[in-house]
Amino acid sequence: MREQSIFLTGATGAVGSELLRNLAARKGLTINVLVRRTDREPCERVKTLLGDLDVTAKLNVLEGDVCAGPSLGLDNAAVGSLQRETTHIIHAAGSTSFGLALPDARAANVWGSRNVLDFARSCASLECGAFLSTVYVSGKRRGDFAESDYGDAGHGFVNSYEQSKAEMEEMVREAMNELPLILVRLSIVVGDSATGRVSRFNAIHHAIRLFYTGLAPMIPGEPAGPVDMVSSDFVAAGVLQLLENGPSPGVFHLAAGRESCSSLEELVDETMSALARFRPEWRKRSVEKPLIVDLDTYELFVRSVEETGNPVLQGATRSIRTFAYQLAHPKVFETERAAAALAWGGISPQPSLAFYPRVIKYCLESNWGMRPC
Amino acid sequence: MSSSSHAGIQSIAEYVPAKVASVGELHERGLLRGSPDTLRSFGFETVHLAGEESNIDMAIAAAEKVLEESEIDREEIGMILYAAALNSSSTLWDGNGGSPNGSVLQLESVPDLFKYPASIIQTELDLPNASVVGINQLGCASIFAALRMARALIVAEDDLKSVLCVSADKFPAGRHRDLAYNIVSDGACAALVCRGADRNRIVECTQVTKGALWDSEEIENEIIAAYFPTAKALVERTLAKAGLKMDDIALIVPHNVALRSWEILGRLIGCPADRIYTENIARVGHTIGSDNLLNLRCATESGRIEKGDYLLLFTFGYGSNWACMIVQH
Ligand SMILES: NC(=O)c1ccc[n+]([C@@H]2O[C@H](COP(=O)([O-])OP(=O)(O)OC[C@H]3O[C@@H](n4cnc5c(N)ncnc54)[C@H](OP(=O)(O)O)[C@@H]3O)[C@@H](O)[C@H]2O)c1
Repeated sequence: MREQSIFLTGATGAVGSELLRNLAARKGLTINVLVRRTDREPCERVKTLLGDLDVTAKLNVLEGDVCAGPSLGLDNAAVGSLQRETTHIIHAAGSTSFGLALPDARAANVWGSRNVLDFARSCASLECGAFLSTVYVSGKRRGDFAESDYGDAGHGFVNSYEQSKAEMEEMVREAMNELPLILVRLSIVVGDSATGRVSRFNAIHHAIRLFYTGLAPMIPGEPAGPVDMVSSDFVAAGVLQLLENGPSPGVFHLAAGRESCSSLEELVDETMSALARFRPEWRKRSVEKPLIVDLDTYELFVRSVEETGNPVLQGATRSIRTFAYQLAHPKVFETERAAAALAWGGISPQPSLAFYPRVIKYCLESNWGMRPC
Repeated sequence: MSSSSHAGIQSIAEYVPAKVASVGELHERGLLRGSPDTLRSFGFETVHLAGEESNIDMAIAAAEKVLEESEIDREEIGMILYAAALNSSSTLWDGNGGSPNGSVLQLESVPDLFKYPASIIQTELDLPNASVVGINQLGCASIFAALRMARALIVAEDDLKSVLCVSADKFPAGRHRDLAYNIVSDGACAALVCRGADRNRIVECTQVTKGALWDSEEIENEIIAAYFPTAKALVERTLAKAGLKMDDIALIVPHNVALRSWEILGRLIGCPADRIYTENIARVGHTIGSDNLLNLRCATESGRIEKGDYLLLFTFGYGSNWACMIVQH
């Protein structure tokens, strides 16, 4: 049997780093990771991510950029060898920033993915290419969102991130006619289910911080509205299982789904009680539980804050606003296909609230990534 | 309920200085920290500024008016509760801003520390049977604490028939008059809380203090953020204690803070804008502790309230204090 050779983009990200750690500890496997140079060498960056992990796979770090055309910023020799050997692709690179202007979000998520698709077309031995997406390609839809559904159905999007990912999906969907591809839509990935470890802090973690500092008086949504969160270990295990054994082409939701999601009210309550539990002295600050309000009220509040010109409150409301509008469009993500494909591997999502408190504890102990933990 | 076992606000009077300044004028005189346009968009137009009159002059003027209008026998008043928000209003400091930079009070000597406005008010108003208590350190919520205590004392003490509650504040001269996006006016109010009053029966009176939020300068943002959730919780608690629902409330009698913040709070507590008496916000601004009583009087005079109506009064004061009261007109 041919040895698997996996080409991974986005390995330094929240999800990609989990995938990398999971793959690196396997045997009889080659992993080629495409990593950007920052102020640090790509190899250096990957080494830091892996820490003291026992790396048993063959790991090659390639400096590149998914936005640098079909060559992905690699030289001809590297591209040629990848085209020959790659059996699987996981495309986890992209921009997850909710605040970008649409052209910038498109550049990262649509045009970058187009380059990876072109690369996939040139891989003679490709068995499966997994393109990571988000369940929020559903935009402002409400109600049930199935794995067979696509896009916002004309309801619009909450932010440019969602829109760019939906556009990316359209492109991948078309390519599914010619290539063995899967789209894996992730729900909100908050951290490791056992340790709470967060590899990259994002808007959700920032929102927890605003709850902690008492700068989030209200969030939009419906108290009973579902909130879907998953752990990074579930996502990593799920993506790899789908890549290896999932039927392709296909679209899968790695989400908590109807069974394991929580309500917004439960989530807010749990956030406040976990903060008090893990930081008992925090109670003295008398931070009131943020209110769950309708969208009109929230917008009125946001408008007032904008009018005051107060930079601290503006920063707080803006950061919540970029994703919180999703909460005002509650939906349940159906997970039938993914559940069926993951069942034999015994992979299933834990109830969100079973591990979420550990993530809060990790946020507190690491001071949101400022302190080694 | 027997008429002698309840207390109500029998009479109200206010004193608002004649001198008026517009938001634009305040801005021109360097008396605003924030943008005049923002303050205007929040519903403010003019404020009242005390000239020669001190906080005590204003307190006496309001109290004299309430005594005259109510035609009460002055001998009947057993207590004066003098409520002030600013520390400078709790002593004899003249409030004209002559104090050295950084100090609130201009005290010449130790005996000055013992010269209290409440005593002066008692003698000036000729209320020989009234003992006095000063209430402060609750910011703009001081008068609520006074009304609450007046009611509690009347219920508790058989021989106490009437309590005069007075609140007066004069803002330090030359200082920015906008605080947390509200503009401050000078002013005073007085209320007679009487046993068995035939109007404004005090049904419920609740307060919340969040001592952690005492430093109004250092953690102003946290205080602003705490305002709405705490306000909503307190209003709901007060209604529940009174056995009422928001639909039972004929009118909210607010403090004169930004109209926008009342639009938001109104939504949060489920009260439509037309049941919040906001008519004085533009004209008078925020008189620190006197807003609610001033508004209650104006609303009564305007015919907006009918006998038996339930009214909800709400305010916030630095400290940080939230206060809510339900009265039956
Ligand atoms: N995390 C979640 O909650 C979540 C939820 C739903 C869906 N997803 C999807 O999962 C995927 C991964 O998300 P994530 O949370 O791991 O994102 P992330 O933490 O923001 O990381 C993004 C990754 O993409 C890389 N990247 C960005 N632009 C690149 C470029 N031009 N060339 C090469 N690499 C580039 C980043 O590299 P640098 O380190 O160099 O910046 C980083 O490794 C995305 O498709 C995202 O839409 C994530």
